[in-house]
Amino acid sequence: MKLSEIVEVLQAEVLYGEDLDRIEIKQACGSDLMSDVLCYSMRGSLLLTGLTNPQAVRTAEMSEISAVCFVRGKKPPAETVDLARKNEIPLLLCAHSMYLACGKLYSTGVLGCDDRCE
Amino acid sequence: MRLSEIAQTLTLKVRSAAGHLDTDVLGGYASDLMSDVMANAEEGYLWVTLQTHANIVAVAAMKELAGIILINGREPEKETAEKAEEKNIPILVSRLPAFELIGRLYDLGIPGLRADAEES
Amino acid sequence: MIAANKNLQFTKIQELVYELKVAEVMTKNLITVAPDTRMSELRGILRDNRISGTPVVDGDRMVGIVSVEDFITWLIRGGVDCPVGQVMSRKVRTLFADEPLVHAVSKLEEHGYGRLPVLDRSKNTLLGLITKGDIIEGLLQELQIDYHEEEIHRYRASHFFEDMIADKITINFHYHIHGKKIEQGGEVASDLKRSLKRLGIHPDIVRRAAIATYEAEMNVIIYAEEGRVDVNVEPDVILIEVRDRGQGIADVARAVEPGYSTAPDWVRELGFGAGMGLQNIKNCARDFDITSTVGRGTTLKISIPTGTKEKRCA
Repeated sequence: MKLSEIVEVLQAEVLYGEDLDRIEIKQACGSDLMSDVLCYSMRGSLLLTGLTNPQAVRTAEMSEISAVCFVRGKKPPAETVDLARKNEIPLLLCAHSMYLACGKLYSTGVLGCDDRCE
Repeated sequence: MRLSEIAQTLTLKVRSAAGHLDTDVLGGYASDLMSDVMANAEEGYLWVTLQTHANIVAVAAMKELAGIILINGREPEKETAEKAEEKNIPILVSRLPAFELIGRLYDLGIPGLRADAEES
Repeated sequence: MIAANKNLQFTKIQELVYELKVAEVMTKNLITVAPDTRMSELRGILRDNRISGTPVVDGDRMVGIVSVEDFITWLIRGGVDCPVGQVMSRKVRTLFADEPLVHAVSKLEEHGYGRLPVLDRSKNTLLGLITKGDIIEGLLQELQIDYHEEEIHRYRASHFFEDMIADKITINFHYHIHGKKIEQGGEVASDLKRSLKRLGIHPDIVRRAAIATYEAEMNVIIYAEEGRVDVNVEPDVILIEVRDRGQGIADVARAVEPGYSTAPDWVRELGFGAGMGLQNIKNCARDFDITSTVGRGTTLKISIPTGTKEKRCA
């Protein structure tokens, strides 16, 4: 699913990123804990999180996550957006709860990341 | 939908308060941040998290949640399970990651927060 | 992701224009003619090879260049058959093979030429020919290589080390962690990641090293305030040592258990401290060793082999 379509499904606001129709998202992961996220094979996937500090973007950078969507309508601080810009990682903001955002994406066919390293 | 039906359909394993699965689940809430759950989860909601420490029981009891599902095959700490048993908070566990478990709950018709649910 | 950003692509091209050498994109299998080739033969040579001009070579020296324009001028002047050497342009602008591509771009642009011969700087012999088409093709190819770097698994690291001659080669990266806020956590891991990428180490290996370092760095920031990260890159292994002078870990065996954490709530609220960090580090490493003295500090040592994909982490 294209990132631009995900924006539609989640009625999300694009905080950073362009040409979202050129980014293909197959998998997604929802978590507020970055160590949990770092444990997945997340390359090329979407991270849904309520954690808005720069660590969310750092984690995306380390795991080569394609995009980050902040849930619960929590706007990230400027340094988070700056770090995303520096690393070219698109940022979305959606007003839904984590539960609803994951539920909606799952029902459109986005898969979970179950390739864990444990 | 009752918690017992959800547990059966999604093959969740019960780790505490097995006698309290008869409650009606009004909705789902997923979060790993205690303060967020304290602020936003609603009574009768089922909480999806990977946190396993004893604080989750206190939060669930305070917010009168229907129960807690631990994801990624995580098990409650000993103290957590004991406290949950004592406070009659069902803790269930699933092998699935949060995204997938939430997806299946949502597919079963368990709604999200009321304000959001109107759109879905 | 790179493809998604026009600005980035643009700067990438700018970078490549300076990085790539003329020799890397020029046409090498040259069609040349001799000064005594007849003008009557030239038309066929240009047509058959679908070219619009060709260098004129005497032995291994280039003496001029002859193009379709020269051919037309010759026709207009009567088209009396003669050797190419009498019609060709003798004043030829040339490029050296080791010049950056940007020189070719500016020379072609400046004089409105369609092609420039490329010479060997020391011997002055003709090596090839460069056209605007060659430049575009070269850039596109290079961009494509960039995009597919992951897929084609280029182990430039091994080449990098092959070029070095020594009994033992170690590249050391040293980082100091001091007085950082949680928000700054990950700067070391980010810098290390970039550096390892530049060494050309396989992306999977770089990711594992970055994730392990990130978790260790966060631990230092949360529990110790000050620490150092030493990374030794050897041809077949990356050794990472993270040492801090923090409070130490009372029960190391328990600390490594998944889910075990002594983190206060404020750390958990920041997305860390769920008792998965050390487990994550362990999963990324081949060897994992942690020693700690309460009140003195903790030293974590891990190794990650560079050549194999034995673990799926990250």
